[in-house]
Amino acid sequence: MGLERGSALPVAPTGAPSFITSKLDFLVNWARRNSMWPMPFGTACCAIEMMASAATKYDIARFGMERMSFSPRQADVLICAGRVPYKMASPLRRIWDQMPQPKWCISMGACASSGGVFDAYSMVQGIDTIIPVDVYVPGCPPRPEGLIYGLLMLQEKIKGESLSNAAIREEDPLRVGRPNLPPETIEELALPFGNSTLQNRTSGLVSTSLVARPDDRKE
Amino acid sequence: MMADKDFEAGLGGLDEGPAASATDPETPFGEAGDAADHPTVAALHERFGAAILHHGVVAGDEHVVHIQPERNAEILRWLKEDPGQRYLYLSDVTAVDFGGGRPLEVVYQLWSMELKRQIRLKAQLPLAALEIDSAVPIWQAANWLEREVFDLFGITFRGHPDLRRIMMPDNYAEGHPLRKDFPLRGRFSRAEQTRRALSMEVEDYYTPEELGIAGDKHRHGQEAGA
Repeated sequence: MGLERGSALPVAPTGAPSFITSKLDFLVNWARRNSMWPMPFGTACCAIEMMASAATKYDIARFGMERMSFSPRQADVLICAGRVPYKMASPLRRIWDQMPQPKWCISMGACASSGGVFDAYSMVQGIDTIIPVDVYVPGCPPRPEGLIYGLLMLQEKIKGESLSNAAIREEDPLRVGRPNLPPETIEELALPFGNSTLQNRTSGLVSTSLVARPDDRKE
Repeated sequence: MMADKDFEAGLGGLDEGPAASATDPETPFGEAGDAADHPTVAALHERFGAAILHHGVVAGDEHVVHIQPERNAEILRWLKEDPGQRYLYLSDVTAVDFGGGRPLEVVYQLWSMELKRQIRLKAQLPLAALEIDSAVPIWQAANWLEREVFDLFGITFRGHPDLRRIMMPDNYAEGHPLRKDFPLRGRFSRAEQTRRALSMEVEDYYTPEELGIAGDKHRHGQEAGA
């Protein structure tokens, strides 16, 4: 139906979405956000909480994550739960590249988000150096409520997406299997507290200035 | 600003690796134990004499015997096959690096289920000659354990059938991570580590045989013979 391609939709020459496009956005986003199948990439203790989230007591099927999709080809949201060593970086990137658009990523727990306490030779310092991340769930490990809150936040994010903005769903074939961030940024993230500081800064929710958080930074 | 100085010192320490362990030159192996407490130790002394360098007891009742590294295979085989010992189960092979240029210690943990005995053997290897005979001909269990020691400490096991890395990728170029002189965060920058990790293919982790994609002509033995 051409719904996936922004250029095929009636968009005003100015680039501003017309009335019809906005209604289509609503329909498409409604469908997408209420049928997100997770690709569980569970590598550590966070995966236990992820399993608990899917089990009867918390049951993320209530929110549209009807089943865990153990094939990346049928998955919509990759949940990276647990620490990722460098040896797992390549499989993680490959799984992400195998997932069809539209796709999202949740980084669950401190280790996936920033390397956590494992600032060592073997550990990836945050999976956002490997793949783009939409929602970071803090905690060590996060409770199922935390993961569900992250999934609901992702649904909120999807509400704001528009088909007229095709760029957010475009992937550069040359970047398949490459790091997600430029080398300088990865170096910056690898500094002590680097990744958590950067995530706070990009979120805009927490002040990372020297005055506000003098103890976090090494200047 | 005292806290800042501590922080700087801590960061520097991360890159230098851990400090060397202290040792007492008077008793480099620790306190001597009573060989009469353990029948195997007495038998080892009687049979191998000068190859048994020291015997000690740690943690109450764990007997540790230091042996000459040149005779490790002979001693291990005797411990397994002698009817009075019967250490059929090799529960662990590992190594210790004390840092500061001290020799690396290869550790064998043996268990005789028949006679309900345990014993620990240690052999010291100078940093200049990190080679010792493999225990794989004696216990198959030594195969992966010795690969792990080779991977993380860089000790070569003579006669091992398949000595290659087991934990780190085959083309890992930063050295042996559990050595004391290895910096905690690795030798390469994070960007380089990420780039290398992502550029690896499954062939860097597994042999064609393990992947099941090799024809018969690629098998190890025939390749060597041809």
